[in-house]
Amino acid sequence: MTDKLASQDPGDVLSAGADKFTVDGLDFFYGAFNALSGIDVRIKEHAVTAFIGPSGCGKSTFLRCLNRMNDLIPGTRCEGKVRLDGHDVYGPGVDPADLRRRVGMIFQQPNPFPMTIYDNVAYGPRLHGMRKRADLDAVVEESLKRANVWKEVKDILGRGGLTLSGGQQQRLCIARVLAVEPEVLLMDEPCSAIDPTSVQKVEDLMAELKDRITIVIVTHNMQQAARVSDYTAFFLQELAGEAAHLIEFDRTATLFTTPRDRRTEDYITGRFG
Amino acid sequence: MREGFRQELKELKAEVVSIGRRCVEQTVLSVRSLVEGDPDLAATVVAGDDEVDQRTLAVEEHALEVMATQFPVARDLRLLHSLTYIAWHLERMGDLAVNIANSARRTASRRGPQTLSDLIQAQGNLVHRVLEACLEALEKNDLDLARKLPDLDEPIDHLYKQFFRELARLQDEEDIEWASSMIVAARCLERIADNAVDIGERMQYMLTGTFEATGESAER
Repeated sequence: MTDKLASQDPGDVLSAGADKFTVDGLDFFYGAFNALSGIDVRIKEHAVTAFIGPSGCGKSTFLRCLNRMNDLIPGTRCEGKVRLDGHDVYGPGVDPADLRRRVGMIFQQPNPFPMTIYDNVAYGPRLHGMRKRADLDAVVEESLKRANVWKEVKDILGRGGLTLSGGQQQRLCIARVLAVEPEVLLMDEPCSAIDPTSVQKVEDLMAELKDRITIVIVTHNMQQAARVSDYTAFFLQELAGEAAHLIEFDRTATLFTTPRDRRTEDYITGRFG
Repeated sequence: MREGFRQELKELKAEVVSIGRRCVEQTVLSVRSLVEGDPDLAATVVAGDDEVDQRTLAVEEHALEVMATQFPVARDLRLLHSLTYIAWHLERMGDLAVNIANSARRTASRRGPQTLSDLIQAQGNLVHRVLEACLEALEKNDLDLARKLPDLDEPIDHLYKQFFRELARLQDEEDIEWASSMIVAARCLERIADNAVDIGERMQYMLTGTFEATGESAER
């Protein structure tokens, strides 16, 4: 395993800025299958980190390890340490629901609740005890603005969330997550099912949000990773049936101009995968 | 799509090497026109520069188009970026060969001391050697050879200094204008070689991803 990670130098790459997540020696299993092995990585606070790699390389699996979404899949288990602000997210006494409020998630397919646009966004704050209409109004407006969709929906807040276009639905889902003030936003291919205009708006909002939120995005679109992220991690499963590894982690500009590992170079230049 | 892209990169690089060969030819002919006092040959060199200019411009335009449409990264990006720079250096070499040819036109009917003519020819031969090595390194992605270019350039700089020592020995009755044209030509040859060394440095970045500045820049 050492040689798999020989190309990265986390100490060098990650010497600047605070770490939001620190992951050490993470292994992940679906039943007996070791899907991810030996993952060591630091996710920088207030930065966008992109995970790239071919299908089946474990990048989405790893993303879900960060807020324990894999706990919902029977037969899975995780070894190693995942720390959020220095605290073990798999430690005793950690409430996964509270963790997922702090570490929100956006999925490939937009999944608004079957309720009004307003209620979609107000859902989380209400769940956490916010009752006053004026407070809720303010949170709804602020969240929809931050999600870059306010102008399109401000006059139709009472309409069903599912009546919106796919791209608008995705930004509504982002607003819903932002309404509970998460510290981290995990985005699992958030743009692969939406129109180009909405893609642009989602990419813009990522740049705006990172001043206050740490963002981790899984994307198949390498140009998108290059455009939106500050750091990029390349995952690879070299042989079918074997565990995937983190091959290289670096500043995005460095990884896309002078990758250190030949496998990264071959992947990003389209020579395999 | 990627196969077509890779073919485009290959063709672009082959074109840059081919322009390089044309620049070698221009340089060699310009030196010959000067040493032999041949104004017709000098005129041929001057006329030939348009082709070099047009082809280097086409390389730059093509590289930009490929960058805009293919989103190259890593070694592909470095190759395209470097080829653009290399084309620019070749265009400069072409201009310097024209300067030498213009010196030849100005001095065609006059003769000066043979020692200076011999020095120009010797310097031309050394520059020819650097240019050939530069193009071979580029064509074969030969990093070791690219790193040797500053060493090959060194005797040219020495010869350039010797040129001035010979000039100092000129007697009053010698043709000063002729000698001045020789100085211009010697300086141009020295700068052609510097451009070749710069190309070698660009190649090092292209092949390794790090800049390893070694020799004197042609633009200093």
